[in-house]
Amino acid sequence: MSKSIFIDTTICTGCRGCQVACKQWHDLPAEKTKNMGSFQNPQDLSFKTYKLVRMNEEIINGRLEWLFFPDQCRHCIDAPCLETAFDENAIYRDTQTGAVIYTKVTRNLDADEIIGSCPYNIPRKAQDNTLAKCDLCSDRVHNGLKPACVTVCPSGAMQFGDRDRILSIAKKRLGKVKQKFSKAMLLNPEDVNVIYLVGFDPKLYADYAVASSDRGGLSRSVALRKMMGPFTRMMRV
Amino acid sequence: MTNHWIDIKNSDCILIMGSNAAENHPISFKYVTKAMEKGAKLISVDPRFTRTSSKADIYAPLRSGTDIAFLGGMIKYLLDNKLYNKEYTAAYTNAPFIVGKAFEFKDGLFSGYKKNEEGPSLGSYDKSKWAFEMDEKGIPKMDRTLKNKRSVFQLLKAHYSRYDLDKVSKVTGTPKQDLLKVYKTFAATGATGKAGTIMYAMGWTQHTVGTQIIRAMAMIQLLLGNMGVAGGGVNALRGESNVQGSTDHCLLWHIWPGYLKTPRASNTSLDTYNAKWTPRTNDPLSANWWGNYPKYSVSMLKSFFGENARKSNQFGYNWLPKVDDGKAYSWFDIFDAMYKGDVKGFFAWGQNPACSGSNAAKVRKAMENLDWMVNVNIFDNETGSFWKGPGKDPSKIRTEVFMLPAAVSVEKEGSITNSGRWMQWRYQGPKPLGNSRPDGDIIMELGRLLKKEYKTSGGVFQDPILNLKWDYETNGAYDPHKAAKEVNGYFTKDVKVKGKLCKKGTLVPSFAWLQADGSTSSGNWLYCNSYTEKGNMSARRSKKDAPNNIGLYPEFAWCWPVNRRIIYNRASVDPKGRPWDKKDWVIKFAGDQKDGKYVSKKWIGDVPDGGWYPLENPDGSKRKDSKYPFIMRKHGHAQIFGPGRTDGPFPEHYEPLESPVEKNFFSSQRINPAAVVYTTKLDVYATCDPRFPFVGTTYRVSEHWQTGVMTRPQAWLMEMQPDMFVEMSKDLAKLRGIKNGERVNVTSARGTVECTAIVTKRFKPFSVGYATVHQVGVPWHYGWRWPATGKEESANLLTPPAGDPNTRIPETKAFMVNVTKL
Amino acid sequence: MKLNRRDFIKISGAAAAGVAVSGLGFDLKPVKSHAGMLKTRYAKESITICCYCAVGCGAIVHTSKRGDGRVMNVEGDPDHVINQGSLCSKGSAIKQLAENENRLTEPMYRAPYSDKWQTVSWDWALNTIANRVKKTRDMNFEKTNAKGQTVNRTTSIASVGSAALDNEECWIYQTLMRSLGLVYIEHQARI
Repeated sequence: MSKSIFIDTTICTGCRGCQVACKQWHDLPAEKTKNMGSFQNPQDLSFKTYKLVRMNEEIINGRLEWLFFPDQCRHCIDAPCLETAFDENAIYRDTQTGAVIYTKVTRNLDADEIIGSCPYNIPRKAQDNTLAKCDLCSDRVHNGLKPACVTVCPSGAMQFGDRDRILSIAKKRLGKVKQKFSKAMLLNPEDVNVIYLVGFDPKLYADYAVASSDRGGLSRSVALRKMMGPFTRMMRV
Repeated sequence: MTNHWIDIKNSDCILIMGSNAAENHPISFKYVTKAMEKGAKLISVDPRFTRTSSKADIYAPLRSGTDIAFLGGMIKYLLDNKLYNKEYTAAYTNAPFIVGKAFEFKDGLFSGYKKNEEGPSLGSYDKSKWAFEMDEKGIPKMDRTLKNKRSVFQLLKAHYSRYDLDKVSKVTGTPKQDLLKVYKTFAATGATGKAGTIMYAMGWTQHTVGTQIIRAMAMIQLLLGNMGVAGGGVNALRGESNVQGSTDHCLLWHIWPGYLKTPRASNTSLDTYNAKWTPRTNDPLSANWWGNYPKYSVSMLKSFFGENARKSNQFGYNWLPKVDDGKAYSWFDIFDAMYKGDVKGFFAWGQNPACSGSNAAKVRKAMENLDWMVNVNIFDNETGSFWKGPGKDPSKIRTEVFMLPAAVSVEKEGSITNSGRWMQWRYQGPKPLGNSRPDGDIIMELGRLLKKEYKTSGGVFQDPILNLKWDYETNGAYDPHKAAKEVNGYFTKDVKVKGKLCKKGTLVPSFAWLQADGSTSSGNWLYCNSYTEKGNMSARRSKKDAPNNIGLYPEFAWCWPVNRRIIYNRASVDPKGRPWDKKDWVIKFAGDQKDGKYVSKKWIGDVPDGGWYPLENPDGSKRKDSKYPFIMRKHGHAQIFGPGRTDGPFPEHYEPLESPVEKNFFSSQRINPAAVVYTTKLDVYATCDPRFPFVGTTYRVSEHWQTGVMTRPQAWLMEMQPDMFVEMSKDLAKLRGIKNGERVNVTSARGTVECTAIVTKRFKPFSVGYATVHQVGVPWHYGWRWPATGKEESANLLTPPAGDPNTRIPETKAFMVNVTKL
Repeated sequence: MKLNRRDFIKISGAAAAGVAVSGLGFDLKPVKSHAGMLKTRYAKESITICCYCAVGCGAIVHTSKRGDGRVMNVEGDPDHVINQGSLCSKGSAIKQLAENENRLTEPMYRAPYSDKWQTVSWDWALNTIANRVKKTRDMNFEKTNAKGQTVNRTTSIASVGSAALDNEECWIYQTLMRSLGLVYIEHQARI
């Protein structure tokens, strides 16, 4: 059973405990930033920043909303990056957790192609082309702990567990949230292991909150490989 | 907090005003969210739309410094619409008390006012004019029907009759429909069984009317029956991990540990001191807990001086310093005296006044007059290095500075007390880094050296130093357990108390056992019960909750007083001892009854505020052996009328010292007539001055803390909030031609700070009177030392030299500024 | 100190030892097992209460038992009834408060009119401070005030701080300051 994270943005307070907890657990260095006229910082995900709370101020139905979106890898059920890489030494799926994991071997891949394949625009490259992103705190999860970001979340906006349970929590929660936010929705719940619940149009939260049709997905060659199924992939390994 | 963090989940309506809990106490939102999931409403009132507002059902903006107008309007709304809880108000508050004829209120002034010629206090009141009428037994006269024209209740009604919606909206800038929404929603908690809570912080205290803002809210909570109940209370969200504990232990000029009074010069002996500060009541139904005062003061002296404190030397009473009657020695006064050259030596221990003091330029200038300064900290900071700060020439500054490296909290052992009064023990992880040392070791060593110095070479008035008990160490190192035990207190001889033999040297079980004859010690009576023969109560970790799961967790850590998790909890039950709230009850009376009378005493639930019988028997007959629930008040009743305050028994709206409004819409008194305003040439201010047209306020962000000394040297936190900024509305930015993200100058009458402009929808101009008023906000976390560019400076270079008359807390939440492009 | 067992969500029995799987801390996909060792496996665990705001959240500190004995990880304590494992951004950064190259690690002294700090010994620093305190106090001690009342105090020395001290430290600190005769004793609660 793969693991999933549910992120209910309607109760996220934007405290950014998750953003720091991620850096803390992974020993990631801080970036040099500048205040660009917003609380959001860094400005984007990076090789050193796997989790970023995006912040947007929007007037919706005549009311000001400050929208928080803790952005991270969705650990897709069918992960285009994994298929595109076609090298399990570089990108593989942890069968026990369902996490999509990048290794140092990603430096041998075409980084831009991998990034381009992601419908959520998540992976980021280092100067040497090594790729990085959220690893679902694989080491923690294998040792019975929740991912650092979920552990730390004060309001209960993030939950972690077996996919079935998390999906059912998400659906149940959507029903409740709809009483307050009529346009609330889950973002690609069937396709991803990090399931977001938003109260408003997802585009207002982040450019790639939902899978984008104008990017990502599989290139022709990748799609072909995929069609050929496990046999080809076995040959590759 | 009268209640505690977890208890917020029991609330039906949470008002967050004067604080920004989602950002500055983020974990509180675990419980705010829990309450909301059960249907509670969240109200956010703030000049600026915050992360708290983003989660609120109702957001209402208000102009900084107009909270009393806002709350006064709510009091009028409750009274006009009869939404107050009459049974509670009549039984437990002083609403029925009859106020003497000398009390009056006219055009912004209460009776007994006298202007002050000398300052810094602008004026003072003769509080005897506000006294209650007493009956022949010396008990306040009461009218429980609340109809008497001179009753507190009727005077309250008259006072707030002026706070109509139009006027309140005109002053606060809050739209009328928003005021009504807030009033209506919060008033719903007046229903029996419902609870509303207030979460406030420095957004309320840092005003020249700070104390009265909080009183106004406390009055609302009493009128609605929200004190003592689960999910209710008046909850100050304290800003530092141990500011509750450091306040309880009274690192403050006016109080001794446990909120005892610092002796005045006129308290010439221990007897006169105790007589002066021990309140007396003639009402047999008033517990008047402070009647125990001498037991606490004598026990404290025994802890100070151990065996050297004897009855024959008044337990060392005269070894401790006295302050002059009528004079204040507060933070502001320290730096005023230092500026004038009257202070020569200075300890800045774990504190950074060069950035935290209002009107920081004066603070920094004052430090130049010191002979020496000792600065104990984890990081270099703007205080210890003031001599090389912006605009300073080290070759002209004489001050010697000793900078001592302290260990961080995870490197040492001891306890801290959270905002919910929970004392929690923490343990050592790594050893102190490098040559840094725990504060306790530094303090012990300094004390040892001083004692040695006075012993070997003599000196002026050595007795207190030589006689000070100073044995809080084991194997030459500071031992927090020994200090914790002394704070709790010991029996100093074999004594029989309550029929039980207590052996000398054993720990006192609770403050009910303390004595005024020297047979007990207790460094702080409020903490007596925290470390007993049963062990260190603050280290307990049981996750067992109260039977009805209201989150009391009575065996997790320990809280003062005597582990009572919700104080004033005897007001959570009706006079017969039955909880107002049947589900989320805090305590209930469970004694046996016979023929309509209670015949045995038993309370269940939280530790009750005194274990007496309820006020009434089940058949409604009054009991003579009961006590009123507000046991810390002389008359046993909570104070809707507060004759003890320096600036009036009822809160009244006055403008901040610096405001955009020339005339107070409520009276001819523009500012609090008792406010404290300093007057040196650096204590300048400008009100209604076209050079400073915008309201300014200060606040915190989630990612930094206080002056930033413990967050600015940290890369992860700096990454999220790297630069000093000013937030402003789009309208104001347009008016000044300022672009988002651009650097600008924010200037007040006292200084200029360079900031990055955050142009945001979250600030909007206010409509005040007939004018548009713009407000901006700045965080106070920055200072020149970190980051290394030296350009991110303290917001307190802008803040004013004025404060609240009761507390002398500075008015850093409302002042006037200008904003200009660089 | 007794610690309760963590509220583990066990996924597959006992954790297997293997190659560390953490971000980019390994080169190849672990062949047999995806389970890695936690970096905190060989650490001493102690509990603390967060040093920032006054919610009083519990945290677990992992201190290395190997090498330098320094903090490896600080995270929310799931057995703490208030925060139940949660922390905010500041609480999550406590490790960086302890392990920080900007920390002061030696006593320092700035002489009159000097433009620099110099490192000094604790002995010298504390002895010199005690000497300064005594001199300032003794020269300016007031046994009586202007009205002739006994006051036994000095207003020539002031102290501010601190809510950053533990309770026990606060208490002994104020006894020392008060016995020296200080009345200018204030701290964060006033501002």
